[in-house]
Amino acid sequence: MKNNSFKLILIAVAALVSVWSIWPTYRDYAFTKKLGSFHSSEDSLKYALDHRSEIEHAKEKSLKLGLDLKGGMHLVMEVDLFDLIEQKAWNKDANFHRIMASVRNSAGSSNDNVVDLLAAGFKKENIRLSRYFYDIRNTDQEIVDKLNKESQDALVRAKEIIRNRIDQYGVAEPVIQTQGSRRLIIELSGVTDEVRVRRLLKGTAKLEFRLVKEPEMLLRAIERINSAQVQPTAQAAQADSAAVAAPVAGNTAPSAKAAAPRKLSDVIGVMQNGLVFTPDYARDYVASRLGSEELRALLPQDTELLLAAKPLQTEKGEKYYPIYLVQKTPELTGGVITEAKATFGADNAQPEVLMSMNEEGTSKWARITGANIGKQIAIVLDGSVYSAPVVQSRIPSGNSVINGISGLDEAKDLEIILKAGALPAPVRILEERTVGPSLGSDYIRAGLFSMLWGFAAVAVFMIVYYHKAGIAADLALVLNILIVVSVLAGFSASLTLPGIAGIVLTMGMAVDANVLIYERIREELDEGKNLRMAVDAGYNRAFSSILDSHVTTLSAAFLLYVYGIGPIQGFAVTLMIGTGASLFTAVVVTRVIFDLMLGGKFMTDKSFG
Amino acid sequence: MRVFKKTNFNFIKHRGIAYIISCLLLVSGIVSLVTRGLNYGIDFKGGSEVVIRFDKPVDVGAVRAILGSAGVNGSVKQYGMDRAVLLRTDFHGETTNLKALISNSLATRIAGNPAQILSIQAVGPSIAADMKLSAIKALAAALIGILLYVSVRFEFKFAAAGVVAIFHDVLTVLGLFSLLGGIFDFMPLEVDQSIIAAFLTIAGYSITDTVVVYDRIRERLRGQKPSDYERIFNESMNQTLSRTIITSGTVMISVLILFIFAGPAIRGFAFAMCAGILIGTYSSIFVAAPLVFDWQKRSNSPIKLRGGS
Repeated sequence: MKNNSFKLILIAVAALVSVWSIWPTYRDYAFTKKLGSFHSSEDSLKYALDHRSEIEHAKEKSLKLGLDLKGGMHLVMEVDLFDLIEQKAWNKDANFHRIMASVRNSAGSSNDNVVDLLAAGFKKENIRLSRYFYDIRNTDQEIVDKLNKESQDALVRAKEIIRNRIDQYGVAEPVIQTQGSRRLIIELSGVTDEVRVRRLLKGTAKLEFRLVKEPEMLLRAIERINSAQVQPTAQAAQADSAAVAAPVAGNTAPSAKAAAPRKLSDVIGVMQNGLVFTPDYARDYVASRLGSEELRALLPQDTELLLAAKPLQTEKGEKYYPIYLVQKTPELTGGVITEAKATFGADNAQPEVLMSMNEEGTSKWARITGANIGKQIAIVLDGSVYSAPVVQSRIPSGNSVINGISGLDEAKDLEIILKAGALPAPVRILEERTVGPSLGSDYIRAGLFSMLWGFAAVAVFMIVYYHKAGIAADLALVLNILIVVSVLAGFSASLTLPGIAGIVLTMGMAVDANVLIYERIREELDEGKNLRMAVDAGYNRAFSSILDSHVTTLSAAFLLYVYGIGPIQGFAVTLMIGTGASLFTAVVVTRVIFDLMLGGKFMTDKSFG
Repeated sequence: MRVFKKTNFNFIKHRGIAYIISCLLLVSGIVSLVTRGLNYGIDFKGGSEVVIRFDKPVDVGAVRAILGSAGVNGSVKQYGMDRAVLLRTDFHGETTNLKALISNSLATRIAGNPAQILSIQAVGPSIAADMKLSAIKALAAALIGILLYVSVRFEFKFAAAGVVAIFHDVLTVLGLFSLLGGIFDFMPLEVDQSIIAAFLTIAGYSITDTVVVYDRIRERLRGQKPSDYERIFNESMNQTLSRTIITSGTVMISVLILFIFAGPAIRGFAFAMCAGILIGTYSSIFVAAPLVFDWQKRSNSPIKLRGGS
């Protein structure tokens, strides 16, 4: 009996801890309901203020719902470490670019370590890494180690910067994790404006101030490009004025997607005033061509062609993007920016972002502006020209302005990403799952329904099939579900729809242990043993099968957790907790109940049905 | 209540019939896998899935035509919910663009019936390939793990037969997915992450039933002559028949509830589990134990069993 009182205490503690852990969830639900029940918003506000700390406490400790139930975004992003490595390399020649391209290609579909792939790529060509990286005296291994360290730092830095941006945008409880060597997993619950979030996450925020080359240089470069591309059409393209080119743009727009390989000279126009542009529909194509090797060869030393970030409009409403020829080496980069503020410009309602610089930036900026009065300096963000104002005078204050922004929202986003700093390398979105809140509430309803029906069906079956013993199994089942939910709440794991499926499945599997025991007890009773001996034998002999089946189910769930992603992990977690807990509830709890019932003579041979 | 009072089936004698049925299942599954292939979901194929709900009932064909003319190429199907359709496309660019394209074309062409985009999922092809690889790794690891565990707990022959049974179960369900994929509107039966979850759960659960039978065989086998093995195998299987069926039955109840109530996102999973439990229960009686028996008959060494009470 001493043994039993220990077990009883254990069960009581388990039950109490579970209830204690679930209590805030209930409170949170009750508060939400109460707040919704007030007729006027003042009443509910007053109530909320009066009970503020309690409500917040309950909210913080309550069971979290997953993205699929609450609505939100799940993103997998990749940090472009190749770009980072390219930034680190020097002496880059055609050979280097060729090897980089082939390694990038072969790495495309895997989450393998980029640096190792790169080292292998160079080794295959029998080229020492030190030819391009760090010091010529370094061995390959030293360089691999250094690059690995840089890559790891870059991933961590990217994570911190993205966290910073999200925090400033204001998303409650964002989850940001690194996965493997170059991926980030980002979970944002309750996000409504995906467009803005995407803009916040994707921008590298690499800000540069670059000198714009003289217009004559740009025109000469465009001429060279046109004549180099295809001789015959070059004439026609040059004759194109805005007035001619724009209607063509309008007509060809619908088929633009289909006709990918076309001549660059057909989609670049020059206006009377010397402005070089490309129509809206050809922007993506031109953007991809501007960076190409053959085109770069046609440009003057240390220059490149960049597109404007935002289109301009003709009187007819056709959009076009100006093209600039700018110095490749920036005069100043975004690292000097200390403060950014989104506001409206003084003269009109155009939003803009004011920036101030640190001391070093301020003195450099003063020197740069002083030396280039009357020239244009382009403000380039992530490779697009936002504006290219003409320097009127030397600027000693370290202030600068980005304009050419389409709305206040975008200005605010720019403010955030400028303040958070630039990402060490570009990022791109590999996977995105967005669930709207209305679908989430449908899922919650479906999940609750299946839990209720699942429990009812299993519980009734056990009672019908095993009579009184079935009741013991059902009590154990209730405790099992309590434990699963409380562990989720206690460890701040979130409940997803697959997680609910895991709980429902657990209900069916948890009673299996009882089925094995009860069947064994029935057998022992049939052999003529008395009730107490049969119960003892049933528990002892069935335990080996129960253990085996739990171990296999647990390990399958564990593997699912390790190799699965997002929502599926939720399923694995609830299945693991439920199966683990059922070893306790189905074996220990029901045993204690039987012992108590046997002691109180509540049980007969008929109790096992 | 008792479903099986005292049974006395001669499972071992008629095992040939079970082998034939199993082979038929496997062969037709494999043939279907080779000829029809599998219907992969976007998790493993890459692409985008959009769930759109309308205010009023809507003709799926009309939606398909409108989206098609707007340049969104892909399949449009009824989603397993009221007034909702599921669009599937190869698109993996900016989901913002896709969203704008859908909302604009639907708003202008079906003006009287506002549509709302409930969810968008976009998976890039590179990550899809990755997920496929992890799924295969997880399944392989599960099979190896079970092989090792059962070897330690029983004997290698038992473990190997158990793993063969699991293989049989997963392959049969996979074949079923291949055969029925895309036939039902309310459950597309696509192979995605959740189906892999089902396979792993089936693998873990299939061995549960098998272990119950093994456990009894081990208990009865102790100190018996090999000539008695046939009788012992048969008796053990008959004695455990009731619990094998009931344990599967309770899980089956849960799975059916999920199939009915948990909504379209879980339906494929529930279907896979349902098929897996049926086939798993069958295989633990008709495949695993008879295989051990046949193997034992051909080898000369008597069964040396570990563990057990």
